[in-house]
This record gives sequence, structure tokens and C-alpha cells, in this order.
Amino acid sequence: MSAMRVEGIILYAALGAGLVTGLVGIVESGAKDVFLEATRPDFQKIPIGVLGFRDTGLPDRLGERMSEVLRADLRRSQIFSVADLPTLGIKVNDVNGAEPALFKQAADSGVGVLVWGHLFTREADLVLDGYVHDGGREEGAVGKRYVGATPVLRLMAHRLADELVYRYTGEPGIARTKIAFVSEQRGSRELYVMDYDGDAPKQVTADGFLNLMPKWSPDRRYLVFTAYRTRSKQDIDMIELASGKRWTLVSLPGLNITPAFSPDGSLLAFATSQDGNSEIYTLDTRTKSVQRLTSHAAGDLSPSWSPTGRELAFTSDRGGGPQIYVMSADGSNVRRLTFEGDYNAAPAWSPRGNWIAHVCRTAERQYKLCVITPDGQKRVQITSGPGIDDSPSWSPDGRHLVFSSTGEGASHIYMINSDGTERERLSSGGTHHTSPSWSPA
Amino acid sequence: MQFEHRLGYVAVVAGLILLLAPGCSKKAIQGETGAQSSEQSVVTPSTPATQEPAPLAQVPAPSLSGSGAEPLTGFEPVKPGAAPTEERVGSEIQVAKAAPTDTGPRVEEMQKEQLAAASAGLKDVFFEFDSFKISEEAKEALARDAEWLKVNPSKPLAIEGHCDERGTQAYNLVLGEKRAKAVRSYLVELGVKASRLTVVSYGKERPFCKEHDESCYQQNRRGHLILRTQ
Repeated sequence: MSAMRVEGIILYAALGAGLVTGLVGIVESGAKDVFLEATRPDFQKIPIGVLGFRDTGLPDRLGERMSEVLRADLRRSQIFSVADLPTLGIKVNDVNGAEPALFKQAADSGVGVLVWGHLFTREADLVLDGYVHDGGREEGAVGKRYVGATPVLRLMAHRLADELVYRYTGEPGIARTKIAFVSEQRGSRELYVMDYDGDAPKQVTADGFLNLMPKWSPDRRYLVFTAYRTRSKQDIDMIELASGKRWTLVSLPGLNITPAFSPDGSLLAFATSQDGNSEIYTLDTRTKSVQRLTSHAAGDLSPSWSPTGRELAFTSDRGGGPQIYVMSADGSNVRRLTFEGDYNAAPAWSPRGNWIAHVCRTAERQYKLCVITPDGQKRVQITSGPGIDDSPSWSPDGRHLVFSSTGEGASHIYMINSDGTERERLSSGGTHHTSPSWSPA
Repeated sequence: MQFEHRLGYVAVVAGLILLLAPGCSKKAIQGETGAQSSEQSVVTPSTPATQEPAPLAQVPAPSLSGSGAEPLTGFEPVKPGAAPTEERVGSEIQVAKAAPTDTGPRVEEMQKEQLAAASAGLKDVFFEFDSFKISEEAKEALARDAEWLKVNPSKPLAIEGHCDERGTQAYNLVLGEKRAKAVRSYLVELGVKASRLTVVSYGKERPFCKEHDESCYQQNRRGHLILRTQ
């Protein structure tokens, strides 16, 4: 490993990239040849235009609001660049439908894909007809009719966005995913679930004490989390979102924290201090058998599964301060992954497998987010500025992270592209929002 | 392996909680504590259960199929004048309304315990950043606490480990536990019976102050002593 460090330094010197400013300088210099999917310079976003949704007879500017939701979804997808049609002289809203002249005008401005629709009521339901015109075709359109009750109106736009991502990438998109998080309420910490864009937060627990660090089951039906049962006893619980039913999975003496389901849901990894210090175990969700993975006098915690389920990244302070380690799913082949800085914790393995996000303490002793490749070869700090960043969690498409930060004073939930661009605050109001966890797709 | 043998009687015990049951203020989960567990002294005595714990076998196992996102079906060509293919949109992830638990009894109990510790004059101890070492100042405070505990041998004591807001939540929970255990070890050294002492870590989840500066951080890096009422 030290050989790699030396190599990195030599490379850095060879690049002649300027003043050596300590380890962080070396890390940042690495960013030059590290591209995070969506920011590869050769990645060409697809220009798309949203003409609008005709909503004749409906209140509350529904059509306009649908356009806003759809445009935001398309922008966040990182697949599309959303054209500002009015500046191209193309009229939006109040759209009647397929007009070949309009397609040509857009295509001439470089916008090859156009989306529009109609919004109307049918008995108790709202109906959204969504249409798409591809530049490749002279005229005509493809489309879909979405029918549902008023509360799922935004979901219709999200579904339309996900269909568009699917059409051009073969991937399902993330506009219908959710984010679980913890919110402070009169001194207690309760679980919430909100849409991926921060809309419609819904309270999941209300037991008036501490519920911490939720994680999703792969089928999106359950959350697992640490719950303080009494003032001096805490467990790992599971709650079924649809019913509110709740079970205790782990109730060992001591701390029971940081549960994480394996990608196939067959195992729950967690940390417990029943052995005196924190160690990582797995619980087989079918046979209920328990296996100990780590055995060390130091603290081992925060297991995060690789997408194949064959390896786990975790935090350990066996070397003094906390660092990220990787091991096989049976606890063998433990190796240290992080060497830059004296504090690296809270690993989150990307669903694409190519990065492990974590909290890293900078030379200025700020707690920021870094990503590192599983072979340790490349490391990039992706957040900066004031505040304590914590709990990175990947979007299922691996293009975004959600995390908490005190950068604005109170702790809030933020979404960020995996290369550190386009930071967006998702939580509003309240005083303390933490521990976001992104649902599977 | 040793831990598997222990599983039968220590370990993982499940209890079914009906979150929606009104007035269910006492959450009825208790782990069986293994007689051979070295951590037994740390385990809180059982509180009365309002429900029989369900065996872990009754806990559902998540599946990979069935309840994920509704699959996308792709757009289809729309003939002029015709409606597009129809699809019904339901809420993809339903969240049941959370029914609040009556927190009155717990709040009352916590206030009682707080008062009891205060009127006994028990002293908290404070830690350096990132450290769980008992300082000389802390040793003095704990010596006085130990004297009181010896004079009042019937009182059980809970030691809470707390941390400042810097660092990750999870690592601070582990650090908080190390602090609480360091306090326990020192009290045991001074002759307090270990069976009277329980430890719990709150990490940075229940801070004493919320400012983002060192004078507040100092207050939050704490071993907090509580006289348990039950």
C-alpha cells in the first residue's frame, strides 16, 4: 500500500501540478484523471424540451406544476439537458399536441426530443396523457396514459420521467425512489420517508425517543434501524412501511447499531458490542442464525455491502483513528482501504460497485464526503465548505449521493451528484434532519 | 463457534410490536441475557412486557421480488386521434400513518431520575476530543461519586456516554460507549459493585447544548450519571 502512495506522489510530482499542500493536495490532484460517470467529458447529454401540459378546466396551475416536476426530474437524471424552449422562440404551456412545424423548429435548435401532455379528470381520477417525439421520426409520437387519484399526481410525472430515462438508457430512473431519514421532534428522533426530491415527508415512527440510522430492505417494504427501547437498552428493529408493524431483530446486550441488508436480502449485517467492543455480525434473515465476522479489540462498525454481496466495507479504529476496511462476506481477507487523513468513516458502497463513499476528515479538520475506488487507487473529496457532512447514501443509479450536513447551521438533507456538482437541499423546516438512506429502485 | 452456542439463550430475541396499538406506551421487548455473558452487568433489568415476545422465526424476511417499484413498460406509438396505452398509477411505497405512543410515563421517569442524580450531588465527567481517557479532574469527581454510592448502596446507577457533534453518528455511538465504560471501570476500581452500574451510549444524539463551538462541544463530551428509579 505504501508503494501505491509513493507512486501517487511521484505521479503528482510528474504532473507538476503546483505546490505540494500535504495529503489533501495529493488527493485533489488525482481528480484530474478521475471521472465520475456522468461527468466524463465525452458524455453527451440528450437535449430535451418540455412543451407543457394542457390542463383546461383544472385549478391550481396543475399543468405548469407538472412541467416543473418533470423538468426537475429530467435535469436530476443527468441523462438529459433540459432546453429552455422560450429562449429558442418555442412557445411552452397551452400545447395542443403534435405539430410538425414545432418539431422542426426544435430540431433546428438542437433539441431532438420533445415531451408534452394533457391533464384532465375522469370521474374521480386524474388522467395524464404523456407524449414524446423523437428527432429521428418525421412526425407522430409515442406515449402513455397515466390514471390515478389526486395524491399520485407528482408520481405520474415521476413515472413519465423514469420512462424517458428507460427509453434512452435501458435503466429505470430514480424519480420514483424514496429517501428515509431521521428528524428531531421535541427532543426525540423519529423516522420519516420522503420522495427522492424532498416532497411529501411522511412520519414512520412516533414513539417519542430515539430511532436512528434507517436502512432499506432490498424489496423497499421495510426499514431496519436502531431503536432505544428504554433509556439504557437499544435494539435493531424492523418496521413494515405499509402496515406500521414492527419487530425487534437484534437485542443483544450493549450497542446494536448500523444494520444493513445484503443486496439479496438474505443477510443483515450489523455491529454489536456484546463482546465488549463493537464487532460486525450477520443475521441470516431466513434461518435466523448469527455469524460473527470481525474479531478485534478495536471497534468495528458501519458495514456496507458491495453490490454483489461478496464483500463488505466497514469502519474500524484498529489502527488508532477510524479508517475504512474491506473484507469478504465471511469475514476473511480483511484489508485497509483508506490511508489519507486520520479519520475516515461511514462507508457506502456504490450500487455500481466502482466507488465507496465515506466521511473523510480534511487537513482543516472538516468532516466532508470522499469517494474512493475499492482498490484504493483513486480518491476524490467531493464536498467542501463549512459544516459537518455525514451518512452518505447512494441513489440506485449510482449517479447521486444523499447526505446530511450542518453547512447552513441546522442539520439538513442534501442531494449531490457523485462528482460533487449540483448540490440540492431536500429537507425544509425543522431543526435537525439526519441519516438519509436512499431506497432501491 | 462460541457465539452460535450462545444464540439459544443470549442473543437475538424478537418481540412483535404493534405500533398502532393505542396506549401501548411500554414497548415490550426484552432480550434474554446469558448467564455466562461477561456483559451481563450492563443489561438493564426487564421492564414488564405488555406482550409476549414473538420468536424471531415470525419476523418476515425481505424478498427480492414482488414489492419493488412497479416495472416500466415503455412508451408505445400513439395513433392520431387515439388515446395512449393506459396504466394505473398507485402510490408505489405506502407509509402507514404513525400512531404516537404515550410518552408521558417515560418523560416523567426521566425527570425523576435527573432530579435524583442532581439532589444526590453526583458529578458528571468530561472528556477530551476523540478521547475516552479519564482525566485527573474526572478522577476527582468520580471519587466523590463513589463515596456517595458507597453510602447509598441500594441505588442503581446508569452511566451515559455522550459526544460532541463532530464526526459520524455511528462512530460517536461507539465512542460514547467507550466513555461510559471507562467511567464504569473507574468506579469499579474505586470499589463500586459492577452489578449496580449500567452503561448506555447516546453518541451525539442527545446533546446538552447545540451550539457549534468548543465551549458547547466541551459540555457534550460527557459521562453523565443518572440514578435509576427502576
